[in-house]
Amino acid sequence: MKNKRFKAFSVIGLVVLLLLGPLFLESYYLHLAIMVFIYVIVASSLRTVYISGQLSLGHAAFMAIGAYTSAVLAKTLHWSPWYTVPLGALASTAVAIGIGFPFSRLRAIYFSMASLFFGIMVTSSAGLAPGLTGGFNGLHAIPRLFGFVRMPYYYLFLVSTLLILLILYRVEHSRIGMTFKSVAQSHLAASSRGINEGGMRILASAIGAFFAGIAGGCYAHYVGFIAPAQFGVMTSILLIVYLITGGKGSFTGPIVGTVILYLTPYIMGGFQGYAPFFQAGVLIAVIFLLPEGMISLPGQLMSWLRKPGEGRRAAIDAP
Amino acid sequence: MLLETIGLTKHFGGLAAVSKVDMSIEQGQIVGLIGPNGAGKTTLINLISGFMQPTSGRILFDGEEVTGKKPHLLARMGIGRTFQITPLFREFTTFKNLVASFYLSADRSLWGSILNTPRYRKKEANILKEVEENMELVGLSKVRDELAKNLPHGYQKVLDLAEALAISPKLLLLDEPMGGMSQEETDLALRAIKRVHAKGTTILLVEHNVSIVMGLCQRIIVINYGEKIADGSPEEVRNNKEVVRAYFGGGYAA
Repeated sequence: MKNKRFKAFSVIGLVVLLLLGPLFLESYYLHLAIMVFIYVIVASSLRTVYISGQLSLGHAAFMAIGAYTSAVLAKTLHWSPWYTVPLGALASTAVAIGIGFPFSRLRAIYFSMASLFFGIMVTSSAGLAPGLTGGFNGLHAIPRLFGFVRMPYYYLFLVSTLLILLILYRVEHSRIGMTFKSVAQSHLAASSRGINEGGMRILASAIGAFFAGIAGGCYAHYVGFIAPAQFGVMTSILLIVYLITGGKGSFTGPIVGTVILYLTPYIMGGFQGYAPFFQAGVLIAVIFLLPEGMISLPGQLMSWLRKPGEGRRAAIDAP
Repeated sequence: MLLETIGLTKHFGGLAAVSKVDMSIEQGQIVGLIGPNGAGKTTLINLISGFMQPTSGRILFDGEEVTGKKPHLLARMGIGRTFQITPLFREFTTFKNLVASFYLSADRSLWGSILNTPRYRKKEANILKEVEENMELVGLSKVRDELAKNLPHGYQKVLDLAEALAISPKLLLLDEPMGGMSQEETDLALRAIKRVHAKGTTILLVEHNVSIVMGLCQRIIVINYGEKIADGSPEEVRNNKEVVRAYFGGGYAA
């Protein structure tokens, strides 16, 4: 009971902070917050795919499809981003369903490999059609949602992020989410209970791709510039790092992981060049000391304080 | 006739794992399927439940042609099964395993789960009630909150059986439900199987232990090298020369 009240208070506190924060922040920090919102959406959408037993190494490609579709439509046909962003997300979903039919037959590492090459293929094809997409140099001067003032973006993306997280949370903690997790744990059990294993994998990918597409569209119409490299393999892998280091067993994992790891390079000041080393160090430390991810740090700290040495060993032994 | 196979055949390369098997199971029966190691019993189960596709032959279920259908569609039609190696959700408790299975079998609606509609919530409550009833039926209530991976082997198998009930099967295929169990666990499993049968479920039971099958089943089918060699009451099967030869070697039959 106490725990629940504590949770409720911290959520309310966080929301108030997020709502009032920007009034006291410099524009630069607003920008960082906006980028965090976008990547929180992508990392959380990756989680939906992940819980169905599919570790995608090409999730950023769905962000790319959303971003490019939306940007090209807005730029060439002069449609409002309010329409093109959802259209981009739908395009992303359609592609996810299309590749889902062959991909959902692959399990574990074979799916990961296929998704890796899918990711490479998407970013390469964006580079190969320079007339429309600007090629590898990227697409410039994409119509922005609200011009160059950051405050409206902040509030719009804040509300969208919270709404999307709510939807993804409901999906995960419902019968559908249970189905995803069961397919991941045991496809034999799932299919002998009447679950269409492949169909559920496709559904999870489609949901993940839709929200990654939304995030991609938001990115394009906020930054105003997109290039294939922004959605490359490195981005996909970073998303997995956010997911795993944050905590792969919990809905809040990718959120915490994204907030901390996305922001670290920026708070390191002059040592920014060393950020990859720092991130790698965090990843390794988390794998060895906190297999449940950074979200388990407070609990682990308590147990280490109580029984020095023992908690640490337990963490390493855990599967 | 609930289940009928006609000339059912499965080749693995040059090996005929199942060869021209004709068999039928009537509603409400409990039928034993026995045979020496490698006789093709599990392959037969895999064919009927759709986890393998037959090389030739047909399968009829409830009067409908079901040859070549996917496992999940057969499950929805009412063919339930258990596995020799129990594919439980290992990180879930007994209770949650059952909830998962019953959730999985209930119809899912994406909008219902996102919006948390009253109808959706009512369905959830019904599922929980069903889970409790089934846990009681198979005798697993006392290990309700144990993680599946920590359960003794026999309990895991009974849990697998209880999960198979989630789809309200008309036909339940049990693949060695008592394999490797202690006496106490065997009793638990036997009780569970009898209760499930008493509720009206038709059962096809693959089992190594011939004496258990003899005691439990009204009818026994014997296969050897993929072929059906006997089909009848326990008495008939016990006195069948070919069965004796299959189990004890040629010398005894002479």
